[in-house]
Amino acid sequence: MAVDGYVMQLQPFSVNDGNGIRTTIFLAGCPLRCKWCSNPEGLIRSPLVGWYERRCTGCGACSSVCPKRIGCNLNQNREECSACGRCSKVCPTGARTNMVSLLDADTILSDLQRDEIFYRYSGGGVTFSGGEATAQPALLDYLSSKLYDRNISMTLESCGYFEFEKVKDILARMDLIFMDLKLFDDCKHKQYTGVSNQCILNNIRHLAEISAAVIIRIPVIGGVNNDEQNIRLSARYVHDNLPKAKMELLPYHTLGTVKYEAIGMPYATEDFYRPTPEELEHLKNIVRAEGVELEDFR
Amino acid sequence: MAVTKRVEKIRQNYVNTRPHISYERAWSWTKSFQRTEGLSHILRTAQAFKDTCEELPVNIWEGELIVGTSGEYRKCAILTPEFGWQWINEEIDTFPQRSQDPYDVTPEQVTFIKENIFPYWKGRSVEEAFLARVPDATKLIGVDTGFLDTDSKWRNGVGEISADYIDVLLPKGFGGIRAEAEAYMNELDISIAADRKKLEFYQSAILICDGMITLGQRYAKKAKDMAEAETDCQRKEELLEIARICSVIPEQAPHTFREAIQFVWFVQLGGILSENPLAWNPGRFDQYMYPYYQADLEKGTLTREEALELIELLWLKYSEWAWTISKNTAGFFAGYTNFENLTIGGTKVDGSDATNEISYLAIEATKEIMTHQPTLSCRIHPDCPAKFMEAVTGLVATGCGFPAIHSDRTGYQMLSNLGYDPLDARDWNNCGCVVPHSRKTFEWTSACTISFAAALEFALNQGRSRLTGQQVSVTEKDAKTFTSYEEIVEAWKKQFRYLVKHGVISLITAQEIHKEIGHRPFMSVCNEYCMKNGADLVDGGAKYNIGPVFTGVGLSVTANSLAVIKKLVYEEQETTLSELIDAINADWEGYEALRQKAIACPKYGNDDDYVDVIARDLADFYRQEVVAYKDIYGAHFVTAFMGISNYLPTGKVLGATPDGRHAKDPINEGVSPVTGTDSSTCLAALRSAAKMKHDMHSGGTLLNLRLDHNLVATPRGRANLGAMLQSYFALGGFHVQFNTISNEVLKKAQENPDQYRSLLVRVAGYSAQFTNLSKEMQDSIMARNAHEQF
Repeated sequence: MAVDGYVMQLQPFSVNDGNGIRTTIFLAGCPLRCKWCSNPEGLIRSPLVGWYERRCTGCGACSSVCPKRIGCNLNQNREECSACGRCSKVCPTGARTNMVSLLDADTILSDLQRDEIFYRYSGGGVTFSGGEATAQPALLDYLSSKLYDRNISMTLESCGYFEFEKVKDILARMDLIFMDLKLFDDCKHKQYTGVSNQCILNNIRHLAEISAAVIIRIPVIGGVNNDEQNIRLSARYVHDNLPKAKMELLPYHTLGTVKYEAIGMPYATEDFYRPTPEELEHLKNIVRAEGVELEDFR
Repeated sequence: MAVTKRVEKIRQNYVNTRPHISYERAWSWTKSFQRTEGLSHILRTAQAFKDTCEELPVNIWEGELIVGTSGEYRKCAILTPEFGWQWINEEIDTFPQRSQDPYDVTPEQVTFIKENIFPYWKGRSVEEAFLARVPDATKLIGVDTGFLDTDSKWRNGVGEISADYIDVLLPKGFGGIRAEAEAYMNELDISIAADRKKLEFYQSAILICDGMITLGQRYAKKAKDMAEAETDCQRKEELLEIARICSVIPEQAPHTFREAIQFVWFVQLGGILSENPLAWNPGRFDQYMYPYYQADLEKGTLTREEALELIELLWLKYSEWAWTISKNTAGFFAGYTNFENLTIGGTKVDGSDATNEISYLAIEATKEIMTHQPTLSCRIHPDCPAKFMEAVTGLVATGCGFPAIHSDRTGYQMLSNLGYDPLDARDWNNCGCVVPHSRKTFEWTSACTISFAAALEFALNQGRSRLTGQQVSVTEKDAKTFTSYEEIVEAWKKQFRYLVKHGVISLITAQEIHKEIGHRPFMSVCNEYCMKNGADLVDGGAKYNIGPVFTGVGLSVTANSLAVIKKLVYEEQETTLSELIDAINADWEGYEALRQKAIACPKYGNDDDYVDVIARDLADFYRQEVVAYKDIYGAHFVTAFMGISNYLPTGKVLGATPDGRHAKDPINEGVSPVTGTDSSTCLAALRSAAKMKHDMHSGGTLLNLRLDHNLVATPRGRANLGAMLQSYFALGGFHVQFNTISNEVLKKAQENPDQYRSLLVRVAGYSAQFTNLSKEMQDSIMARNAHEQF
């Protein structure tokens, strides 16, 4: 049975999401709508073409192959774009590029083969990320079972919002699971991510049933969740409910803003800021004080 | 560990002074040759060496423990007019002003040299003999053209020898070698013609040994005299110890670590005085130094700190001698680098891991004092201890460009493919930049630079240079009349074949001349089989006589260009060959849209078989052509993909190329991707490079990459780097070297050179002080793609 799915990117030589040298597969589609999201192209499970204005020379190669005759500025006529991807193929500077493509699972697997030797020597492997990787369970199940049989180490990065029983078998194949706990306060969680954190908190507890090592991540967004109380309660919850887990605090970054421009989407107006190294260290000490070990893959 | 005050003081002097030209060696040599007219060339050379050792100024500089210098300056460059003097005569007045590798020289020195030294050599040098004999067609395409270049084999001493410390030098000392020569001599019957030749060889060997012994004695006396006048008690003692050591070294075999270090430096100095060589390699330093270290440590007569200081003092000695080269050659070998290649790590002949404490001390020394010499190389085997890998990647992370990292197994395989005995092949060391080599060998390891991209230019321009219009190569039909991709590849082959042929003609011409007036009695004495056979290196005395090595440059520019033609002209019909030719004739002016399309075509270095396979086929053809020829010793010519820094001068002479490159821009070195085109990841670049079947190119292959320094800033990052190395080597790769300094730092160094004098960067196959490079060379290093990852 042919399996396919919507993929944002296969990113080789990823070195900060687990051990060794890895390839990170970004799968599109996410149940959350975090206001600070750095991968906005991955929110929806459908093909998407981006346009980087800064790279565009205005040569018109794109519109000459476009079935809808959309001009260079894709964002002006985005509603007409069917994301067929013909323009990305002919664009000489990479200004037009596929942000999400429909890919066949076996193509993905053969692409991963290229870097297998680097995984072996470095103790690396494959990392599933997104979007939200569990939002395409059939694809994730197929890929992870094939890679499991090839004895390739796997890591999952998840927002934690999934039906545990449905993805339990997939989780069992992982060596390491990163799960986010963005906000401990449910009201705020709903406000900033669009969903309740009840499901996420339950899933953290459920991870005790899985053999994989777990790291609970907090993306530390200045102005949202960088208060001591949030960090303390989160760490305490982890300590009490999943003693094996470590935690990692990732400072907010704005590297994703250029992607908002590329897909013609407004960036949240909120005043988020990046915590200073000193502030981050202070928050880390709070985690440590709760008896949870920290991990850092830099 | 902090460097000692002694080392720091010497290092400061090394960093802050320019090399000064000394004519003393050349003057002794010239006077000696004037006295020995009529004798055979080998004896004259040996006599000149001995005379030089007797006359050369002896200087012991402030704070030195290891002594011996090639002239009256501490940072010294010497002259060897017997190889070539015309270029010096023409260029010496501008030595202090030239942009790449300037030397200090006084007007008085210039006058003396021009009046007293050069006139004798007129009509007698290797350079003149070469230019008189080389055919016109060869000269047209292969002398000072940038298309094909052999001038390091007839304008300078050859070098490219690895001293045999293990079987010859350290166990015997020059006294022992001398005694051996006498014993061999006594068995000869000079009524037999062949024996007469051997007699001359052994007589030369004795002169060489006498010269070396004299040099030691003169330093012993100097130290003793200085000690008598010295008021500082500690320095006085040091000088007395120098006197004691030099009274027995290098005549006798050393017994202590310090004696061995002094011995090694005297051997290096002997080689320098004999021919001012390029790539006069100390070889597997950790293997032959460890026994002395271990013994002294056990006796309690040496500490680790003292050993480190002595090694650092040796490193400074290696670096204080500057190679003297022409402006042209300095373009190819920038940064005063003389390629004294010192190898550490790897496996022993018995297959076990060879690393020892000296391997670590060598890395530590380079890390602490950042000298551009020795060219530190390491061998990495599959079972390399984690500790050694950490030391190696830790040095890489400093951004100094050292060490050059090599695959233990591929090096072994490269020598095996040349017909070496497996035991000798296992004991390989590095020569020059990235050449797998042996102390049992005579070989010209970097003999002919050959430009793949020049062949493409000729193929697409009727055998003419695009920049000058001159007909330099074999004729070809008008490029606009080619009708298929295959026809163009054939045209490239025809032109490349012509280049190879003239490279061969050039080199065998040079070989014949070296056999007449290029004897190397000093180097031969350091070679086990020359002594056994009673024959000089140029007479085939060594155990292995390996054919001269071609050095391919511009592989990736050429493959990328062919890929553009294949894709845009013949597969997608985006353009016509005619339009493409017009575009490169116009240096892309008015064709920017087409240039963008050309740039968007597949590029070598991204693990894309579309273009990597083209590169591989070119490389295979290269080898097939080159190995078909034999040299004057009957040995097959050998291929390599090295670089030195010759991707700049070889690019400067070429017009624009179909890959989107502008006229005169650099091409690429070794198997490295074209600067800026390896846009995927470092892993993809490694995979592309590994497709080149490295073991077939026994002359060595070179891959330079830049890594963002953040990637190796943590132990975890450096472990990943180690894994990348092991992966590349498992794929069959041979060498890789990294620059990891951020462009930010380099930019600052360019603007404020005084604050960055000691900053070392990787040039190509070697490292040099960044501020010693010309502006264009600095720019080209900054343009190399940094592989970053977030």
